[in-house]
Amino acid sequence: MTSRILVVDDDTALAEMIGIVLRTEGFETFFCADGAAAVQEWRAHRPDLILLDLMLPGMDGIEICTRIRAESGVPIIMLTARADTADVVRGLESGADDYIVKPFNPKELVARIRTRLRPGSQPESEMLRIGDLTVDVAAHEVRRGDTAIALTPLEFELLVALASKPQQVFSREMLLEQVWGYHYKADTRLVNVHVQRLRAKVELDPDNPKIVTTVRGVGYRAGAVV
Amino acid sequence: MPTASVSVAGRPATWRDGAWWRARAERVATLWRRSLRFRTVVITLVLTAVTIIVACVWMALAIQSDLFESRKTQALTDARRAVDSAQTTLDNAVVQDDPVQVQNLLTSIQGPLSQQSATDMTLAIRVDATPSQLAPPGFRSGGLTESMISAELRKHVRDDSSADKQWAQSIALPGSGDTVRPGIVVGQQIVVPDIGPYELYLAYDLDDAASTLSFVQATLWIVGSALVVLIGAIAWFTLRAVTIPIRDAADTSAQLAAGDLGVRLRVRGEDELATLGRSFNAMADSIQSQINQLAELSLVQQRFVSDVSHELRTPLTTIRLATDMLNDHREEFDPTTARAAELLHAQVERFEVLLTDLLEISRYDAGSVQLELEPTSLARLAEDVIASMQQLAEQHGSDVRLVAPGGYSPVDMDPRRIRRIVRNLLGNAIEHGEGKPIVVTVDSNQQAVAIAVRDYGLGMTEADAERVFDRFWRADPSRKRTIGGTGLGLSIAQGDATLHRGTLAVWSQPGRGSNFVLTLPRGPHPVEAGSPLPTDPGEQSADDLGLTQPIAVHGDAGEMGETGGAQ
Repeated sequence: MTSRILVVDDDTALAEMIGIVLRTEGFETFFCADGAAAVQEWRAHRPDLILLDLMLPGMDGIEICTRIRAESGVPIIMLTARADTADVVRGLESGADDYIVKPFNPKELVARIRTRLRPGSQPESEMLRIGDLTVDVAAHEVRRGDTAIALTPLEFELLVALASKPQQVFSREMLLEQVWGYHYKADTRLVNVHVQRLRAKVELDPDNPKIVTTVRGVGYRAGAVV
Repeated sequence: MPTASVSVAGRPATWRDGAWWRARAERVATLWRRSLRFRTVVITLVLTAVTIIVACVWMALAIQSDLFESRKTQALTDARRAVDSAQTTLDNAVVQDDPVQVQNLLTSIQGPLSQQSATDMTLAIRVDATPSQLAPPGFRSGGLTESMISAELRKHVRDDSSADKQWAQSIALPGSGDTVRPGIVVGQQIVVPDIGPYELYLAYDLDDAASTLSFVQATLWIVGSALVVLIGAIAWFTLRAVTIPIRDAADTSAQLAAGDLGVRLRVRGEDELATLGRSFNAMADSIQSQINQLAELSLVQQRFVSDVSHELRTPLTTIRLATDMLNDHREEFDPTTARAAELLHAQVERFEVLLTDLLEISRYDAGSVQLELEPTSLARLAEDVIASMQQLAEQHGSDVRLVAPGGYSPVDMDPRRIRRIVRNLLGNAIEHGEGKPIVVTVDSNQQAVAIAVRDYGLGMTEADAERVFDRFWRADPSRKRTIGGTGLGLSIAQGDATLHRGTLAVWSQPGRGSNFVLTLPRGPHPVEAGSPLPTDPGEQSADDLGLTQPIAVHGDAGEMGETGGAQ
């Protein structure tokens, strides 16, 4: 199955070049150069993944990201010229799954896209328990009692990674490798921001987390099954 | 009392102690140095006091001499009148060599002398000292004796026979008890018919004049002292009006210097102090506006750098993607085009690294770097970096070893930046290490953790070592570069170290290699006590390492095992 990717970038040369790279790798691409039209384009095409430039005319990438996240958990990778704290963190907080700093090389881009499109190896058991939650891995569903909790694929994968090895403490680097597919040292803010987003959705009291607990100085681990 | 601290054996210091006086003198000296008001008032007081003392002394002396002169004139006139009257009596008397009559005559003038003059102290002595049956030696009354008259006066009176001539001199008259009263004595001759001249002295009591004088003098001193005190007080209060605004100006300047750009002086009136205030405020306005302008410029520059970053990076991304693609397909091109694609690819990469480094440097310059602090073990970080660069080291034939007696416990640092520093140092060591071993040492003490990267390669001269942190500086421009570098690596490393409040120091000697030591404080305060690792490694050389033997590692066995894994 060919994955379909929406490239939102106002620089047409770059968009075209990304298109060339992605088509060589066997992806199907759509383009949108106008921020204001991006959400519309997304609704029209329903792509499998969005490459989103942060600085766009019309509407900026963070706003687009927030609007799309409100409707869908579709993987979003930000393209940013700035690795500065504020921009990247704001992008991640608005729901982007990952980011790539310009300039990037084609292999890096394709690797990031493939990681987001192909979820990691599934654990053997179909049903996992973490805290007071039930995770149905096959159905991509998380429940607290009878209530389903909507998670993005990334958040789901993060939760599954923790729940599948409840005894293990995951360092940020381990999670980066397992969930984001980084095999070298990457930005641990990715983990921090997404753990916060996940907690906001699954924890009863996000200030006092019981599902994803912090192990100070090391990383995170799954909360005890209740 | 401020002198309590210098007192001996707990006894409070008193004015009897030298220390007390020293402390007092020091306080006054301090006041003199530091208080314009105190100094001015003291100077005013001293000068006024001197002036008033001189004036008072002069006035006292003038009054004294004037009073004396007038009393003297009065005494002379009085004496003349009395003596003239007595002389007339004597001239009209007829004595016929009868001693009794002469005696009576002398006695008879004695009463009128006292009555006519304002004194009853009279003394008459016969000029001719030869004893005579006829002439009585003289007479005296009112306690005036011969011994009280000075020889000098007597000589004058005796020698000058003209009856008009009067002589006066001040004498001390016996007062009640042992006291002495001031007086004046007038001497002249009086001629007794048939017998000859007599010295006649009349003494006048000046006691009333003296008491007038002392009253006047006392008044003068009192008024003088009061004037000095008054002038001192006036100077004190007048100076207050000047020193208080000056103090205000000084305080405000200090506040301004401390960075509070909004402070201004209150300006009242149009006098010199108001002018000072206005000038100061104008200066503060000017400084504030210039600093604001600079801050704005800095902001503009930061924004510009940020914009340039974005604007350059987007086309660079396109170029990068395109060259990567071309490079991947270069086998399909003819050799020339393939080489061109290869060169293009390499140079685009170099350009990218350069751009990244430049932007990093400009961020330091703009002060816009924020550290992402995380508790990190420096020893583990060093292991990781060594492992990741193992391949490169092997290509250069260098054996990288880790010696980590300490530095395992996590310390807050930005691991990305520290990793970048260590990679940079290790990369340099591999490049300049000439295939000799490279030793990475990690250690810690209570204040800091440190990592040293030592190579035994060519090394640098001292002058070169001083410049290694300069931007775009290369030790030897002709040396072949095998590992890409922009010439900004060590500048960035030092910038990162400084951001951590740490230090990056270098030791290097030609032929002995180089040693770079990065020291990071454990807390938020810069390390003062010194790095856990010395910058100068001493006399150790590559041969001493004993290439076949393991390096001695202090610390526990578990740590040793992991350390060994990285070697």
